[in-house]
Amino acid sequence: MTTLRPFERESTRGLDFVGKAAVRVDGLEKVSGAARYVDDLDFGPDLLYAEIVESPFANALIKAIDTSAAAAVPGVTKVVTGKDFPFKFGLYMKDRYVFAQDRVRFVGEQVAAVIARDPKVAKRAAKLVEVTYEELPPIFDPLEALKPDSELIHPDLGDYAHVPWFYPHENTNIAHWRKTRKGDVEQGFAQADLVLEGEYRVPRYAHCAIEPHVIVGLYDQSGRLTMWSASQSPYTQRHLFAEALAPLGLSHKDVRVITPYVGGGFGGKAGVSMEIMGAALATAAKGHPVKIRFTREQEFYNTYQRQGLVAHLKMGVKNDGTITAIRHILNWDAGAYVEYGANVVNAAGLSATGPYRVPNVWIDSKCIYTNLPPGGPYRGFGYSEFVFGLESHVDRVAEAIGMDPVAFRRKNAIVEGDILAYGAEMNPSGLIEAIDRTADAIEWGKEETSDDPNKAIGKGFAVFWKAPAMPPNASSASFLKFNEDGSMNISVSGMELGQGYMTAMAQIAGEVLAVPPTKIRVETPDTDRNPYEWQTVASHVTWSCGNAVYAAAVEAREKIFDVVHRVHGYEEESLYLEDESVRSSTDPDFKLPLRDFVIDGLEDTDGTFKGGPIVGSGKFMPEFTSTRSDPETSQGGHPNVHYTVGAAGVVLEVDRETGRMKVKKVALAVDVGKAINPSLIEGQITGGIVQGLATVLYEDMRFGEDGRLLNANFTDYKIPTAHDIPEETIPIIIEIAQPDGPFGARGVGEHTMIPAAPMIGNAIKDALGVRITSMPITAEKVALSVLREKSEE
Amino acid sequence: MRMDVSVTVNGEPWLLSVEPNDVLLETLRSKVGVKSPKIGCERGDCGSCTVLLDGHTVRSCLVLSVEADGHEVVTIEGLDDEGLTELQQFFVDMNSFQCGFCAPGIVLAATELLEENPRPTREDVQEAIGGNLCRCTGYDPIIDAVLAAAHAGGEATG
Amino acid sequence: MTIAQVFDYERPETLDEALEILIGHAGDVRVLAGGTDLIAWLRDEAVAPDLVVDIKRIEGLGEIVDEGDALSMGSLVTFTHLLNSEPVAARLPLISEMAATVASTGIRNRATMVGNICSAVPSCDAGPVLLVYGAVVHTVGVAGTRRIPIDEWFLGPRMTALGRGEIVTKVLVPVPPGGHGAAFVRLSRYEGEDLAQASVAILAPPDHRFRVAFGAVADTPVRARRVEALLEGKALDPVLVARAMALVSEEISPITDIRASKEYRLRMSEVMLQRGLKAAVERLEGNGPSYGTNLM
Repeated sequence: MTTLRPFERESTRGLDFVGKAAVRVDGLEKVSGAARYVDDLDFGPDLLYAEIVESPFANALIKAIDTSAAAAVPGVTKVVTGKDFPFKFGLYMKDRYVFAQDRVRFVGEQVAAVIARDPKVAKRAAKLVEVTYEELPPIFDPLEALKPDSELIHPDLGDYAHVPWFYPHENTNIAHWRKTRKGDVEQGFAQADLVLEGEYRVPRYAHCAIEPHVIVGLYDQSGRLTMWSASQSPYTQRHLFAEALAPLGLSHKDVRVITPYVGGGFGGKAGVSMEIMGAALATAAKGHPVKIRFTREQEFYNTYQRQGLVAHLKMGVKNDGTITAIRHILNWDAGAYVEYGANVVNAAGLSATGPYRVPNVWIDSKCIYTNLPPGGPYRGFGYSEFVFGLESHVDRVAEAIGMDPVAFRRKNAIVEGDILAYGAEMNPSGLIEAIDRTADAIEWGKEETSDDPNKAIGKGFAVFWKAPAMPPNASSASFLKFNEDGSMNISVSGMELGQGYMTAMAQIAGEVLAVPPTKIRVETPDTDRNPYEWQTVASHVTWSCGNAVYAAAVEAREKIFDVVHRVHGYEEESLYLEDESVRSSTDPDFKLPLRDFVIDGLEDTDGTFKGGPIVGSGKFMPEFTSTRSDPETSQGGHPNVHYTVGAAGVVLEVDRETGRMKVKKVALAVDVGKAINPSLIEGQITGGIVQGLATVLYEDMRFGEDGRLLNANFTDYKIPTAHDIPEETIPIIIEIAQPDGPFGARGVGEHTMIPAAPMIGNAIKDALGVRITSMPITAEKVALSVLREKSEE
Repeated sequence: MRMDVSVTVNGEPWLLSVEPNDVLLETLRSKVGVKSPKIGCERGDCGSCTVLLDGHTVRSCLVLSVEADGHEVVTIEGLDDEGLTELQQFFVDMNSFQCGFCAPGIVLAATELLEENPRPTREDVQEAIGGNLCRCTGYDPIIDAVLAAAHAGGEATG
Repeated sequence: MTIAQVFDYERPETLDEALEILIGHAGDVRVLAGGTDLIAWLRDEAVAPDLVVDIKRIEGLGEIVDEGDALSMGSLVTFTHLLNSEPVAARLPLISEMAATVASTGIRNRATMVGNICSAVPSCDAGPVLLVYGAVVHTVGVAGTRRIPIDEWFLGPRMTALGRGEIVTKVLVPVPPGGHGAAFVRLSRYEGEDLAQASVAILAPPDHRFRVAFGAVADTPVRARRVEALLEGKALDPVLVARAMALVSEEISPITDIRASKEYRLRMSEVMLQRGLKAAVERLEGNGPSYGTNLM
């Protein structure tokens, strides 16, 4: 896996485009107002609007639905209920319906929909749909849901189809239980000089992309279904729509998903959530486009949320700081439907040791149904959640044995070749370098004080890691073509969410073909025209799709060299590309511009033409991953392609009286293998840190006793403004090549959020001597903790 | 109750037929076809619907269409006939935006700032865009570009 | 963006026309100025008027006028206008300080201070400030004009002394004679735009007849008269201030809601009083933190 590609061997000149802070290829469109998102698309006067009727109860049987009053409102074209679409769907497990069938499982669950010409009419008519419910006792606490005598939220769990590597426990509320067992933890604890246990609680969070979910569907008169979706995953959406609506006889080729620019995803626009209703309603209004645009409130309570977690951690260490054993019990509040979220639980269950060398491991990660909104993919995919507890616990353990917490981490830091919890080997990674450079950046070890007597300054540290959590056969494909002037179009189905994916693809292709990214367009997905991409999630598309684009570019280059060889005679090994031209190492005067022949072919000596349009195709699928492992231990498989690792540190100022916190300085080092575009990597670091800090400092989801989300708006669910940013952010890019990545690259999109919460918790401990083990760590919580400590003295 | 509204949008006069409950944001997007102001929260919390009304930023989700009668609306499409303003060019060159959904509102807020205060401090910029939520960037690259544009503008006018 | 409910809309050109419409209409009427509260309430269906009366065309309501010993602010004066007003900054600095904390530029360009006190949500920012300045609300109705002292204005959550068929024309704010120091301190969840979870406005005149008012910690903004009585005429020292802080729990009745707990609001009100008094007196003496400094 460490052999260089021929390209890298021959390239002595260094890289022209990869590794440079190129200007984003989509920047002009977005700043000028040209960029189009789904709600900006016009569908003409025939567009219909749908309003959703939602459950007011967290757990109830549906006894009856009377749609007659709503259907009678002038302007209403149709009213539909669950009976019209008794189809299950789901990504990893099929536990969800398009509309609730015989029961509802969370407040806000869709029960019916009204379709009308005018959105105001739809909104008014929706209120007239009468649903008769019989309430059932709801369960909101995953630990309650685990009790043997608790209500079953999914009594038919045992019948649900699911991927073979999930283990539902029928007749319980445990939808999946990932067990990882390595070595012997009891022996590990016995060998330890110190054993410390702790419990950590992390609540739910919302993605809050500024663009809400929106879907438009048209089931035309020929029976072709076209969906315009604000989605991270057009192909997965197409697949789930085709599967769910299979009773209608739809072939995949008859379902088309088009995704223009997306206004932020963060995982929330992955898979299929509200879009399934769009597909179903389109089929209910054949010949007319139908739109569902979620309000901000619906965005909060009826799209994926980040799961809640109650974690119990037990760690054994020797006096010299060596970790001997970790037992990590993760009880996830996964919500009413877990078709996607169960994989979050799975991912955490494989990796909840953190980036440490641990000989004895016991992880139980349980996906537990509750009567709360469905949990699903969220930037970090379970890692932010368990790392809060783990990295808080590491500080406590280090303190207990009198060791510096950074030195402790350094000592146990995982390195290439170490055996992971599930038996596979760790990939090359620069964790030690990340720890050292981060510690330097925040002057770890040097105490700082404030001039203001009300304020204390503390420093906190955390390490992090994450691997893409994907099926073993997740893949990417790419087409590319040249145009008459030597410019290029790249056709891929990864999604530009803002992370800069399109620019990275252009830089990769441009590097191989010696064409500047400014002459390359990367097309937004259309499943009719662009080839397959599993999903834009897991921070994996730079790696996976980058490899596919690289392969497509190499194929195009081979075709270029072939026709030049045939017409001009140069041996292919002597040819190379430079400045949009073909050059020869055996003839310095040979310079053939690509534009001369990439469409028109090369004129031969006899006046005929050879070649023709140069196109390239490529694909990438890892061929070394497998989920076949022992269900009781997770040993034997190779579920994760590789890990991206890093470290972060913060200098935090806190007001002792008010608890108000200010981040004076934060440093984050991440090993990206190869920074295709350092400016975009810094963008992920800066943006991810702010989003991570928000989850720990002030985002605070509040549910009522009835299970209703009380703060489903930005007035009361606070996300960062321009005032709420660190005073200084230090991004540190580390490059220990990923051998199977394009130019050595691996992913970084999610990782930068992960260390935020524990480093704040650790900084608060440093500043005030108070250890807070539940999130969020708000000013109020800090202030009241300090007051409580004072009164106990 | 249908009413006629005369409003100038990006320099062009429009005569629109609206109901009192038609919100300006929706009218601009669907009747005038101006797509840059976005629907983000419908409560004035996120700023993505920002437009210039008689030269001042307002949240168009909190303005009824009828209130715009006799007034002027400008969005980013109407800032410069030739192309991008200098400020917009800085945003492009410095990779300030990611998903771009907040960009139109922030461009207008920053434009308003630089017109009123050609030499803003970092805190001034934070205040000017404080009502525009961005979930992607962490704001630094946006603030940096506004300050760079202000600095360049200062040099240009000497 | 959908307001589903149906209502009529009128846009009178004069006060008399507006009053005629208000009196003449039998059903529920709402007056529209900046709209930053009303439009959201219409969408949420928190209010259901059949008629909305837009007063923005009426002449004479949009000015800040120097009346000698007072400044008057017309009911259409926006927070931005207040912020940009040099007379307000010079003579009533607490109003400027408060105005800068309201929302964000795009909201301040429309929202009016009078609208803020007419909406009268318990956390309204202008309330405590106008209370300590002893403002007077001027209204006009079919029965004539009224002058309502701000002490009598707030009757309960979203309830004011404004009668049916009445419109506020301006707020008259007396300028404390002989100079003053002041502070407006606000508790929010972070640095960004947020409704106050608690607020306190403090006026420190040269004779130390302090005026203190709290916001967001009772049904309405409230004067802290016991605290005022305790501090009246005295030089501040830590012991005295601690006694004042101990009185706060008798002056306010904070609740626990999704924004903050009762305990935190109460403790922070005490801290805000302490910090605000210090800043107000320092400003009175000419060496305090500049107005706008966040004391929290």
